[in-house]
Amino acid sequence: MEGLKVWRLSSSIARPSNLRQLFGLGTSSGLVRCLDNGAAAANATNTRFPSRNRRASTSTSTSTNTSDREAVRAIRLKKVEQLRSKGTEPYGYKWDRSHSAKELQEIYKDLNNGEELDSESHHVSIAGRIVARRAFGKLAFLTLRDDSGTIQLYCEKERLLNDQFEQLKTLVDIGDILGASGSIKRTEKGELSVKVDSFSILTKSLLPLPDKFHGLTDIDKRYRQRYVDMIANPEVADIFRKRAKIMREIRKTVESRGFVEVETPVLQGAAGGAEARPFVTYHNSLGRDLYLRIATELHLKRMLVGGFEKVYEIGRIFRNEGISTRHNPEFTTIEMYEAYSDYQSMMDMAEEIVTQCALEVNGKLTIDYQVGTEIQLQRPWRRETMHNLVKEVTGVDFTELEDDLKVAKDVVLKAVGLGLDSKDKSSIEACPSLGHLLNEVFEIFVEPKLLQPTFVLDYPIEISPLAKPHRRHAGLTERFELFICGRELANAFSELTDPLDQRARLEQQVRQHNKKRAEAVSVTDGTGEQKNIDEDSMYEVTLDDDFLTALEYGMPPASGMGLGIDRLVMLLTDSASIRDVIAFPVLKISQ
Amino acid sequence: MDSFVSEPRPASYETLSNNVLKRERRARERQVREEEKKKVTTNKIPENQRQQVANDDTMDPTQFLSNRIKSLALLKESGVNPYPHKFDISMSITEFIDKYRSLYVGEHVENTEISLAGRILNKRSSSSKLYFYDLHGNGAKIQVMADARHSDMDENEFCKYHSGVKRGDIVGICGFPGKSQRGELSIFPRSLVVLTPCLHMLPRHAITSNSDEAQSKKKTRNHSWTPGITRNPETYILRDQETRYRQRYLDLMLNSEVQKIFRTRAKIISYSRDFLDNLGFIEVETPAMTMTAGGAAARPFITHHNELDMKLYMRISPELYLKKLVVGGLDRVYEIGKVFRNEGMNLTHLPEFTMFEFYMAYADYNDLMDIIEKLLSGMVKELTGSHKIKYHGNGFDSEPVEIDFTPPFRRIDLIEELESRANLSIPKDLSSETANKFLLEACEKFDVKCPAPHTTTRLLDKLVGHFLEETCINPTFIINHPEIMSPLAKWHRSKPGLTERFELFVNKRELCNAYTELNDPQVQRQRFAEQLKDRQLGDDEAMVLDESFCSCLEYGLPPTAGLGMGIDRLAMLLTDSPNVKEVILFPAMKPQD
Repeated sequence: MEGLKVWRLSSSIARPSNLRQLFGLGTSSGLVRCLDNGAAAANATNTRFPSRNRRASTSTSTSTNTSDREAVRAIRLKKVEQLRSKGTEPYGYKWDRSHSAKELQEIYKDLNNGEELDSESHHVSIAGRIVARRAFGKLAFLTLRDDSGTIQLYCEKERLLNDQFEQLKTLVDIGDILGASGSIKRTEKGELSVKVDSFSILTKSLLPLPDKFHGLTDIDKRYRQRYVDMIANPEVADIFRKRAKIMREIRKTVESRGFVEVETPVLQGAAGGAEARPFVTYHNSLGRDLYLRIATELHLKRMLVGGFEKVYEIGRIFRNEGISTRHNPEFTTIEMYEAYSDYQSMMDMAEEIVTQCALEVNGKLTIDYQVGTEIQLQRPWRRETMHNLVKEVTGVDFTELEDDLKVAKDVVLKAVGLGLDSKDKSSIEACPSLGHLLNEVFEIFVEPKLLQPTFVLDYPIEISPLAKPHRRHAGLTERFELFICGRELANAFSELTDPLDQRARLEQQVRQHNKKRAEAVSVTDGTGEQKNIDEDSMYEVTLDDDFLTALEYGMPPASGMGLGIDRLVMLLTDSASIRDVIAFPVLKISQ
Repeated sequence: MDSFVSEPRPASYETLSNNVLKRERRARERQVREEEKKKVTTNKIPENQRQQVANDDTMDPTQFLSNRIKSLALLKESGVNPYPHKFDISMSITEFIDKYRSLYVGEHVENTEISLAGRILNKRSSSSKLYFYDLHGNGAKIQVMADARHSDMDENEFCKYHSGVKRGDIVGICGFPGKSQRGELSIFPRSLVVLTPCLHMLPRHAITSNSDEAQSKKKTRNHSWTPGITRNPETYILRDQETRYRQRYLDLMLNSEVQKIFRTRAKIISYSRDFLDNLGFIEVETPAMTMTAGGAAARPFITHHNELDMKLYMRISPELYLKKLVVGGLDRVYEIGKVFRNEGMNLTHLPEFTMFEFYMAYADYNDLMDIIEKLLSGMVKELTGSHKIKYHGNGFDSEPVEIDFTPPFRRIDLIEELESRANLSIPKDLSSETANKFLLEACEKFDVKCPAPHTTTRLLDKLVGHFLEETCINPTFIINHPEIMSPLAKWHRSKPGLTERFELFVNKRELCNAYTELNDPQVQRQRFAEQLKDRQLGDDEAMVLDESFCSCLEYGLPPTAGLGMGIDRLAMLLTDSPNVKEVILFPAMKPQD
């Protein structure tokens, strides 16, 4: 256990000079240091630094310098040969574990300091990676970490066969994976240990574990070599464990309500269901371009036409757009559709899913997301119309505005103009309709303020081409978006079922897009300067005629919701970037 | 119909009302214009034929469509929304059946009020005051007996409304349960409202029979299909394969077995998930778009990220990423996800398919044989009630075969069995020229076709296909593949030149591929180098070196065993589907001309 604490301690130290001090400390107390400078052993302090610190610190240097690394590799390759020459295979085939480290910690938590259990029934077998070690003349302590936690290996020379103890001292490095068996002992210092009577090198590692003092502050490397990040920081692996739990909880929640999981195509002839630039690929044998889906919506609705009443899909979505702390070109959503329900019932469903996941993962309904506000997930969540929220924040009452777009823009600019930067101002001026204007004002002024869970209701029809017109308010749709921490988490509507209306709206969308595209083309032709700005609209949008035909066969009244799983995981694991919750995020080509 | 019209508007919207009215009017006008436009294009029927034709069956489909569009326009003009926002159902059709199936013949429970919704797939009338409908939803069906005497409408209204209800319409019904004199469980509507009109005429069964007996008999047969027994798509209402796959919603709507295929598929996946979750595995997601396409031998799809100006491949396997996670300390991981291969399409191959892969640290391929036996036999038992299934392995034209999933499955050693069946003595050093020549001659001798390039791997593969795979109807493990065929598998602990690998074959097709994972980074690099040789010989399906994977191995992958299984192929077996398109909702199709 000592070793682990060192790891934690080390993550907070930023300067190489401290490293030397640590080594000094290590040797002076008679420790044998392995080759990994990063995994130096030292007397543990009980100080625990929050792991997040390393994220805030800036990268001061790159990883272990290359020549060190190569030297380590060469030495370890020699050890591989040495082992083989002795008839020991350094890459073992299997190891039967009787317990995980956590199970042992749990079973023997009441064992007293200094106490040993040597009988057959307390003979255990474990396996994991060595993350720290100290060796004295005839005694060595190794810290072994497995999937569940850590445990100490207590190795006495007399207890081990033949030259096993020598092997342990000379051929085992930090980073190697070992299987060990023995009896149970709690040391005088209170560390639960396996008193080893035999061990086996299961995997010889060739590279040193990352230099804690630099490597882990190199954010880029953390994402590129996620496995190294996970070895060095067990809490990184915990995020992916929690992610798996969240997925399971979502499935459990919707399946207990009768939803059936289905799989719809990723490769499509036309990419619909959202407004986004798709990835394009080419299928050799069909001899045609295919698009990667940008949403699962249009195919799931076909399922409702086909007679399924409750369906969902958890799957990958692809959008050919920039990367940021909130965007990865591929991300995971759950989309769900329920016949004979409307957007009101979907709000209950959203509350249910998010609160169930929070309870499963964190055991409570309050979240401290990053530094700052405490998020309260207790139901019910606030439900407010977009009109009212905009009025509340900006003072502009869109219901009072005339149908004149120009006048409306003037009113808006007069009311909020002072707080606007030029980019926001020009996007307000560019709004082609009242609905767009309302939405723009909402995005600029209201969104960032929606920290506590809020359902924003009744979006303008102009920006909601797949939502059903509101049953009471013309010009609006029965649509909501769920915001938490100023971020959109879910988007849902009472689905548009009228095929004629749907056709008109999609045709309008295609027309608008083509107009934008034509403008972009003319701009690039003209000056070439604004190329980057307008390239966003250079892709093609086609009408999904087959979807419209399906609607003509009749889709029952229904509601549907899409919920971003990556963002939900970010929220529930207190992760600042989407890259923290995606195991292998897309990164720029490394230089 | 629209109960919301009368609801008061909130005060904040009062001031909007003028604009709203204007906008509403304009929207309505636009709608009518659109419809007029549509009429021009679709309606080639003279005005004088516009009145409702008594028997919709005999109507021309184009005329049917234009009639429906017209009647919708009329409704909208009169201020009625033909697509209501919400209909509250008090129970599903399945729940209704469960609750009332035990009623006596002729019993009516008039004091109960139930609301149901679904699609009408059959309409019959014995008089203008009595209509029978078959109401379908979520794979179940009940009868609707609409009797003017029970209706909230007066007789005239009733006749008028019901004559306008068409086969294919989605309706909401409030009424009471009962059983007809013929013993059919029914709902007796107080009110019936069309929730979504079906604008098209639905295909009908080729041999339409109006007799109730024949109808219900047919239905019973359709409803009785369960996983593990055979199907006969020839009896389907919609039989045309192209239409079934291109317009899957029609297939699902009309052919009641088809919904069950996809429910079975969902069960296969959730059974697999639960099985691994119970063993402490966690589900992870690895990238579908990657910088190199590794982990398998296949031609990848290529795409391009605009902003990063970066070439990306669609994954052909999640294997290498999953092993990276094991290196990272997640000892038991699995992923169920789409994998993409840019290859031709046939009865068992489509460009995207669903792969189930799991990796287990400290286990070897022997452990995985036990695990997969348990998983598959347990799943087959749970889904079909038995270990034996019937499958049209050679197409619907041939007799079905029986496949027995009772564990343990047969295990045959690849080289040994090949040598004994073909009476060959294959050279031990398979990477040698001699071995290559020997196998080439063997292929010629037995007339086993192997298109160029004649790499040893490909020759062996063809011979195994010919001599071994053909014998694998019941689940059979073919084990211990040569190293040259298995670049990611660990060398066999006691048999030189071979690996600790198995493939599970069922009905002569590969269902699973698994091995003790190669975790020696040096050997892994050598294997990639050998693959490169094959690649240079023209085998463009040989594996490419993934440097990031090799350097990951240098941090140490514990002894690990991993397995990949094709979910689509498993679904094919359990749903008696000889064609993979039967088990994929929206399969890739050639473009229509």
